[in-house]
Amino acid sequence: MEVSVIGNSQARICRAELACRELGFRFISNRVSFCNPSSKWKEIGIRCSPMSVKCEAIVSDQVPFLKSTPKPRSLESVRLFVGLPLDTVSGCNNVNHMKAITAGLKALKLLGVEGIELPIFWGVVEKEAAGKYEWSGYLAVAEIVKKVGLKLHASLCFNGSKNPEIGLPDWVAKIGEAEQGIYFTDRYGKPYKDCLSFAVDDVPVLDGKTPMEVYSGFCESFKSAFSDYMGNTITGITLGLGPDGELRYPSHQQDTKLSGAGEFQCYDTHMLSALKHYAESTGSPLWGLGGPHDAPAYDQQPHYSSFFSDGGSWESQYGDFFLSWYSSLLISHADRVLSVASSAFSGTGVSLCGKLPLLHQWHKLSSQPSELTAGFYSSNGQDRYEAVAEIFAKNSCRMIIPGMDLSDEHQSPGSLSSPESLLAHIKTSCKKQGVLVSGQNSSASVPGGFERIVENLKDENAAIDLFTYQRMGALFFSPEHFQAFTVFVRNLNQLELSSDDQAAENEAETVNIGSTTGAAASLQAA
Amino acid sequence: MPTVPIEPLLHHSSLLRHNNRSYFGASGGFSPASLNLRCHFASKKLHSFRRRSATSVRSSLAIRASSSDTAVFEETTQSDDVIFKENFPVQRIQKAEGKIYVRLKQVKEKDWELSVGCSLPGKWIFHWGVSYVGDTGSEWDQPPEDMRPPGSIAIKDYAIETPLKKLSEGDSFDEVTINLNLESEVAALNFVLKDEETGAWYQHKGRDFKVPLVDDLPDNGNLIGAKKSFGAIGQLSNIVIKPDESGEEVKEKSKSSSDVTKERKGLEEFYEEIPISKRVADDNSVSVIARKCPETSKNIVSIDTDLPGDVTVHWGVCKNGSKKWEIPAEPYPEGTLLFKNKALRTRLQRKDDGNGSFGLFSLDGELEGLCFVLKLNENTWLNYRGEDFYVPFLSSRSLPVKTEAAQASEITRKTNKKVSDSGFTDEIITEIRNLAIDISYHKNQKTNVKEVQENILQEIEKLAAEAYSIFRSTTPAFSEEGVLEAETEKPEIKISSGTGSGFEILCQGFNWESNKSGRWYMELQEKADELAKLGFTFLWLPPPTESVSPEGYMPKDLYNLNSRYGTIDELKETVKKFHKVGIKVLGDAVLNHRCAHFKNDNGVWNQFGGRLNWDDRAVVADDPHFQGRGNKSSGDNFHAAPNIDHSQDFVRKDIKEWLCWMREEVGYDGWRLDFVRGFWGGYVKDYMDASKPYFAVGEYWDSLSYTYGEMDYNQDAHRQRIVDWINATSGAAGAFDVTTKGILHAALQKCEYWRLSDPKGKPPGVVGWWPSRAVTFIENHDTGSTQGHWRFPGGKEMQGYAYILTHPGTPAVFFDHIYSDYRSQIASLISLRNRQKLHCRSEVKIEKVERDVYAAIIDEKVAMKIGPGHYEPPNGSKNWSIAVEGNDYKVWETS
Repeated sequence: MEVSVIGNSQARICRAELACRELGFRFISNRVSFCNPSSKWKEIGIRCSPMSVKCEAIVSDQVPFLKSTPKPRSLESVRLFVGLPLDTVSGCNNVNHMKAITAGLKALKLLGVEGIELPIFWGVVEKEAAGKYEWSGYLAVAEIVKKVGLKLHASLCFNGSKNPEIGLPDWVAKIGEAEQGIYFTDRYGKPYKDCLSFAVDDVPVLDGKTPMEVYSGFCESFKSAFSDYMGNTITGITLGLGPDGELRYPSHQQDTKLSGAGEFQCYDTHMLSALKHYAESTGSPLWGLGGPHDAPAYDQQPHYSSFFSDGGSWESQYGDFFLSWYSSLLISHADRVLSVASSAFSGTGVSLCGKLPLLHQWHKLSSQPSELTAGFYSSNGQDRYEAVAEIFAKNSCRMIIPGMDLSDEHQSPGSLSSPESLLAHIKTSCKKQGVLVSGQNSSASVPGGFERIVENLKDENAAIDLFTYQRMGALFFSPEHFQAFTVFVRNLNQLELSSDDQAAENEAETVNIGSTTGAAASLQAA
Repeated sequence: MPTVPIEPLLHHSSLLRHNNRSYFGASGGFSPASLNLRCHFASKKLHSFRRRSATSVRSSLAIRASSSDTAVFEETTQSDDVIFKENFPVQRIQKAEGKIYVRLKQVKEKDWELSVGCSLPGKWIFHWGVSYVGDTGSEWDQPPEDMRPPGSIAIKDYAIETPLKKLSEGDSFDEVTINLNLESEVAALNFVLKDEETGAWYQHKGRDFKVPLVDDLPDNGNLIGAKKSFGAIGQLSNIVIKPDESGEEVKEKSKSSSDVTKERKGLEEFYEEIPISKRVADDNSVSVIARKCPETSKNIVSIDTDLPGDVTVHWGVCKNGSKKWEIPAEPYPEGTLLFKNKALRTRLQRKDDGNGSFGLFSLDGELEGLCFVLKLNENTWLNYRGEDFYVPFLSSRSLPVKTEAAQASEITRKTNKKVSDSGFTDEIITEIRNLAIDISYHKNQKTNVKEVQENILQEIEKLAAEAYSIFRSTTPAFSEEGVLEAETEKPEIKISSGTGSGFEILCQGFNWESNKSGRWYMELQEKADELAKLGFTFLWLPPPTESVSPEGYMPKDLYNLNSRYGTIDELKETVKKFHKVGIKVLGDAVLNHRCAHFKNDNGVWNQFGGRLNWDDRAVVADDPHFQGRGNKSSGDNFHAAPNIDHSQDFVRKDIKEWLCWMREEVGYDGWRLDFVRGFWGGYVKDYMDASKPYFAVGEYWDSLSYTYGEMDYNQDAHRQRIVDWINATSGAAGAFDVTTKGILHAALQKCEYWRLSDPKGKPPGVVGWWPSRAVTFIENHDTGSTQGHWRFPGGKEMQGYAYILTHPGTPAVFFDHIYSDYRSQIASLISLRNRQKLHCRSEVKIEKVERDVYAAIIDEKVAMKIGPGHYEPPNGSKNWSIAVEGNDYKVWETS
């Protein structure tokens, strides 16, 4: 960094004058701007403006894909968050890679990122015994986030994770050993141990308490432990609604084998008895003895057996009976969790969110089997997402939709997948119900992902104002990826600035440093 | 290390000017800095300056605790059983500040002398040379004999090293005085200062100090400004690029002025001072004695340290097998404060003689141990080698327990963090704030928006890189091992420019003298058949372009391939010949810098000619010699020629075109890339993508780490820098494994073969981390040949080859060694490597690492040992037979 000022009389004067001023600084927005009304300043500003024009031109060369859109929607309002690693806080409440996270947060702050998403696991906080909460690790993270001047979005995960391996609380797992029925179970009798079955929501299976009561206690404890941060540092909370936090059945269990349509998860004792009960109440007791017999297995293509084919069982009366029931459990689960949360967090000034999956595989089949096995269905071919959106609206909850980086052209043609049209569909459903949409990318990085995200954010229809980029870690900071991410962030800010520039009355007076950096602090030399 | 702007100091310039003599005392000021914490921002400096103006200069050197103090404790607790006793060495990194002065004085009419002095303690070497009238480049020449003070040593043909000395015992300056011979044609005296203790070089503006002795000296960028405004000759501008991470800065200039006496075309007396600072590691110690008191069954811990100033012990105890820090029951020592319910803070009592502090802690006998860290001030914390100090109580009573790092590391990361959090997070906001202040200063002074943006971007990049390196080392999914495993899973030959086929063996086809004959290409051609027979797959040819220096590393017109090695046609013919015998050819591409054809209006050489007639926009902006108008360099600068700004699109486009032309026109199969430290590896990837070489290797050469002249065992930081560069190229190019060469030097020279295994039992060089991208070598045209900058230990070369030619990585053999007595042995090793199909990803199993022997088995089919010690491969299912054998090495293969 070499700024040689000796011998430059003009700069010396300026320096001397400013030297006796106190320099105030504060963090306001995500960019740096300097203004100073003094005439001396104006002179300098004018002197430097060719330079600033020049370097902006250079930078814009690096973002060619924005040039193609002449009138983009201003992204000024899009707040960008970045997710912390899932294992930020370990099972014993250690903060993992603290130094890396701190450095990373500073980098993001300087880059102009608004905030950070922190996954908080039930299995970490309430690990040892019911009602015994240990927040220290997460509090330490929140403190760093606050110190760096970022916002925090907490995701309360009532689910476990396979990679990194974080389970449900030990005491819950112990109960599960004795009674496997609390877990989702597939037709082979294999339990899914990273999430409790929707059917036990209101059943006192957890030492005399229902899962909903336990979640409620968890939320209350969170609220009091983080009361200092609520509404200022913490601006949002996401409620875990199912496997991987998403509202769905764990219909796909092997991550690598996404080729199939997934399987129905209705074989735990509580589900089966609920099904039986429902079948009896609707007058078809024989339908309540088990799940569909002709659904394909996990790794089989949907058309392998007859359930999902055109005119197959899913369109039959039985199909409607089963799928309506299966889907109603999903929706009522969402309703329960979101009401618990909205009563716990009302008045704290934080916005609540829930996350949907983007089940884009097989979306072009008329049965859309991936969505059916995950629990999204509506009778008579009606909008499968509208009922869900209604629940979100009822609880004044935002909806997070992942996969905003996916584009149709990169999907394998054989999977009949269409992330773009599914995304558009869900967004429309939300709009109808007045539900605000937040975006996320899919966790794996995909070709052309950033461009796709920007396109999605520019979509006037959805007016997405919050985007969470997943997820910090080694890959995220690898030179190749971070470079691309930087360009992406600058893109968001660049659009913002272009509108700023027009608004500025005297361009020479205001020099927007943020124009290329999206830097963190706002400084005023006065 | 971020570049810390020096501007904040300018506020104090007036103060400095008035008082400069008295301010910089013998040992410089005392400025706190931290261990394991980063605090090197501007505010700190302001702080230390203020402090200095208020108090007198204080010595910052460590003072050892005297033994009498410890005796006091021993008396008080005489009857107790000692259960733990340890003296922990601790190191504080301090910044010592002082100044350099440069004085030109007229002794008699024609008798001038130049004195240079430095007030910081150190082993200072005045490394200097002269320029003669009519010289145009920035290269140095030897001064006339009569100018060299006694005790000077000539460094090759361009420089002299003269140690600085104190004239008398009490002097605050180390000085050197040069009597100038003005009869000679000397136009200027160039110098840098070198600190032998740290190996750091002190330069000016990243350039040499230059004292002009004639008026009309060609202006190389560092003579402007002051000459006009201050009237002194020998403008020494105010900023210095730091030597690699060593943290020195010369900060600001204070001038005292000059009597003007005209002699020799305007030669004037002058006196200038330049503040200078260096980081000095102070060694102190903390001695801990724990005793069990039989009467009270309490543990009495005494902590005694010679650390100066107030020392606060930040502590907790461990109990019930838990490794958490816990708060013990009261009573606590006097003045103990509870800190956030997580730890206790007790300030140690100052010793009466002022040499340190001590404290006594009486703790419940049931406790398992005491954890602590030391706090010197808000920003300075000390721990023990990255871990908390730990005093175990429940260990065996019979022997005093030795606490080694291993024991200290029993403390989980958690406890560590809990303590460091507070200090750590406090830093964050300050840093961002300081960055913001930096921004505003820049803003005010230069209003150079671009620069500010770059500062921020650089800071972001730096932070991201830091995060990356930690995440990568802690996230198993993305570890080097992960990369290796993925690679080894694919045994089929996959060509990538970073590895070639994986079975490459390089021959460096020239040495420093090869240009002398003028027909090197033709001479090499004659050797094609024998090189092919030896088993080489790649030949590295010298840089082919027109060059200002005969060896070719100062390229001028990139499209003119007539060089001292031969004409373009001879080159093409040679490449063809080698292709015929099955050897591919690497071109030596010098992309970092390029010599200009013309001067600009200021007389600076930065206008290029030839087909690539770039102007000064192609030159990086941060090298003042060449007044570039490009962006700042994305790497280190090479100071002898204009450094090319690879961030310019037109430059990259031209370079890509040139590389493709070289591929097509000459037939080169790949690249050896010169001085890649000078620009970002990402650009290299760009170039590799465009020119699609079969193989490419970059020269990333920087210093290994030494402590007091002894090479450190752990060279992870060094190889990390190389790996980071390879990573920046996305693995599109390999890199010379300088780390391995360095470690081999130390291991062979001093019979320290234990150095050849890292703590994880892998090879300690780049080859241990990223073998497929490591190009191993023991010598090249710079390190050996007639330059001998870093020559491999003499007589041990074959041990070096026995290592690199059996190990993974891509080995490179130096030309001189092929045409030496070693030839037949090297030939047998190469033939063994080819016969056994060892490749760049072969697996090494280190069998033995002892003082005098290193042995390893590679891919379970080749065994080797180097060193005088004994080793035989295990008698098992395999039948080992000796393949090659020589002085202190043996290689076996399975038959």
